[in-house]
Amino acid sequence: MRSAELPICENPVPPLSVRSLTKRYGEEPAIDRVTFSATAGEVLGIIGPNGAGKTTLLEAVAGLLAVNSGEVFWHGEPLPFSRRRNTLFYLPDGVRPYRDEATSQVVSFFAGVYRRSAAETADTVSSVGLRPVLHKRVHELSKGYNRRLLLALALLAPHPVLLMDEPLDGFDLRQTREIVEVLRNRAARGRTFILAIHQLVDAERVCDRLILLAGGRVRGAGTLNELRVQTGLPAGSLEDIFLALT
Amino acid sequence: MRLRETYGRQSGPLWPLLTKELREITSGRALWTMLLLLCPLVGYSFFQAVSLYSEASTAALQSPVLASSLSPLDGILVPTLGSFYVAVTLLFPFVAIRALGQEKETGALHLLVQLPYRPSTLVSAKLAAVLAAWMLASIPALSAVVLWRILGGHLAPAETANLLFGHLAYGLLVGALALFSASISDSAATAAIVALAVTIGSWVLDFTVVGSPGLLSWIAQLSLTQTLRPFEQGLLSSGLVLGTAWAIFGLIALATVWLPPGVPPRSKLRRSLLWVLAVAVMLGAATQLKLTVDVTEDRRNSFPTADQKLLATLRLPLLVTVHLAPEDPRYADLQRNVLAKLERAMPNVSVTLGGPRQGFSRGNSDESYGEIEYVYGSRSDTSRSTSPREILPLLYALAGVSPPVPTPRSEYPGYPLVASADATIFWFFGGLPLLIVLSWWWIRRTPSIDSSLVHEGGLS
Repeated sequence: MRSAELPICENPVPPLSVRSLTKRYGEEPAIDRVTFSATAGEVLGIIGPNGAGKTTLLEAVAGLLAVNSGEVFWHGEPLPFSRRRNTLFYLPDGVRPYRDEATSQVVSFFAGVYRRSAAETADTVSSVGLRPVLHKRVHELSKGYNRRLLLALALLAPHPVLLMDEPLDGFDLRQTREIVEVLRNRAARGRTFILAIHQLVDAERVCDRLILLAGGRVRGAGTLNELRVQTGLPAGSLEDIFLALT
Repeated sequence: MRLRETYGRQSGPLWPLLTKELREITSGRALWTMLLLLCPLVGYSFFQAVSLYSEASTAALQSPVLASSLSPLDGILVPTLGSFYVAVTLLFPFVAIRALGQEKETGALHLLVQLPYRPSTLVSAKLAAVLAAWMLASIPALSAVVLWRILGGHLAPAETANLLFGHLAYGLLVGALALFSASISDSAATAAIVALAVTIGSWVLDFTVVGSPGLLSWIAQLSLTQTLRPFEQGLLSSGLVLGTAWAIFGLIALATVWLPPGVPPRSKLRRSLLWVLAVAVMLGAATQLKLTVDVTEDRRNSFPTADQKLLATLRLPLLVTVHLAPEDPRYADLQRNVLAKLERAMPNVSVTLGGPRQGFSRGNSDESYGEIEYVYGSRSDTSRSTSPREILPLLYALAGVSPPVPTPRSEYPGYPLVASADATIFWFFGGLPLLIVLSWWWIRRTPSIDSSLVHEGGLS
């Protein structure tokens, strides 16, 4: 797969950085001066309760939502709105695309658009466990299989950075572990994943680094150990840390 | 080592996008429901048209004069396709809106706009799918044309093709309008309301202001239904074709502006305004194109050929001042029999309505009411006739040219046909709906899985 060819970046400038991103609805800020960066091959978790601004942040970074201020940089250079889709691919939550089409048709469509080889497509289908439902129409899929379909579509996209909104929602424990394994494998090949997750246990399991978001503002950022030091909770779980910071 | 920076391919292959759009529009119920509704609608119109045509033909078979007034264009094609026009106006927006509205409602639009296609490519692909849907929807109407031939009816290729082309242009216009409505609306229901407000609003315009002078007349020209009328009269107007093309282009451009989420509404409004201005200029330019071809077999929209040729050589401006109220039937006669033909035949004709409006309705005693003044160069003359037999010699006299020698031409014979369309009822109410249901079932069946998706020995 093309993404497998991506080498880990040795450039000190993080490939993706977001500076002071602000989006207001009326006077109310949905995200307020959010700043963070992501390195190649990293799984970065954006965690926070419902309404924290995770989806707004991802959509704003992906260029699918107009912002009031702030910028996105790629290797230190501004990444204009029009070029975001060449670098970032955003997988929204709660989408059931092309409901009347067969799952195989939707996968083939994305594979065709991105000129994926048969082996690459089959590998992606297999890795997310989509084979048993390829013949089913999308509206017939369970929530979990619909999520697998969306993951397959995102993984077929060859972009170096994937933004995913609640990618583990709808999976049981075993399925979550399978998908975490898939994401970790892809990240090891150099792709960057930025995941919005509201389940802290899942976030702890899959993410290299975490950004704690509450009320649209960044309350803390770093690895789990760095956050423990930051909060003075050396044995604290992510849940403890989150409660301490928010 | 530097990370591969971006997904560099700016443009994805078109084929997957086009097939996806086609699948999307054909997998919905709207298209098939419209097709099923069209069967009885078109079938009954055709049955009625053939019955009336046959009745008229019975008498016409005894009289060549009566026969010459029997044209399949007026008697069969226009009424049969008229029901198709009604369905396109009222039902086709629901089919076309689905091409975009479905993705907006399910959130798939967020995926679509991230694919390596320009927004204009995405909207164009949707328009192509809408065109394909229109072609499928036209099957009942086209089958009526075929049935007319099977019954032994006559079809003039040019006027038939022209009428079908007019319906195609109208269908695309409605489709583009529906796509634009879907692009500015959050839900398919809202988009349908917007689209129907325009299409049904056009009918209201037709009923209320057509035939009115001045600004109202100009407003009436904005009616979508005006697109089809010249084609139904057997005219192929370059200005109308170009104007319709620009209107479709403008609606698609506006849909492209409003498609991408993430662009501030103010920016979209600014760009929309620029497009509206640009298209308005192009529409204005299109209205200046005067070239119109009369494609009817009986040449009903033209003077005799010799007159047409001679009138085309009269280069000076002809100013016609009509002292008639627009609602006066004589004005309608004059317009149809003389003025419209003159405007197509002569390079420079201006028609103005002179005199008071109250002339017709209040029985104005103004003696000039009913007069039509013709000014050509420095000479002028007045007539009250609405017949070209009197007006053309008057114009030749003003221009100082001799009337052309009438050339013998074959008179339009007319095509009377006494036929029964009873058997066609079985087609429109049985056979065709059955075929449509079978096609629907075939489209809806579970597709075989592409073997590449279960390819063994993947990269794992």
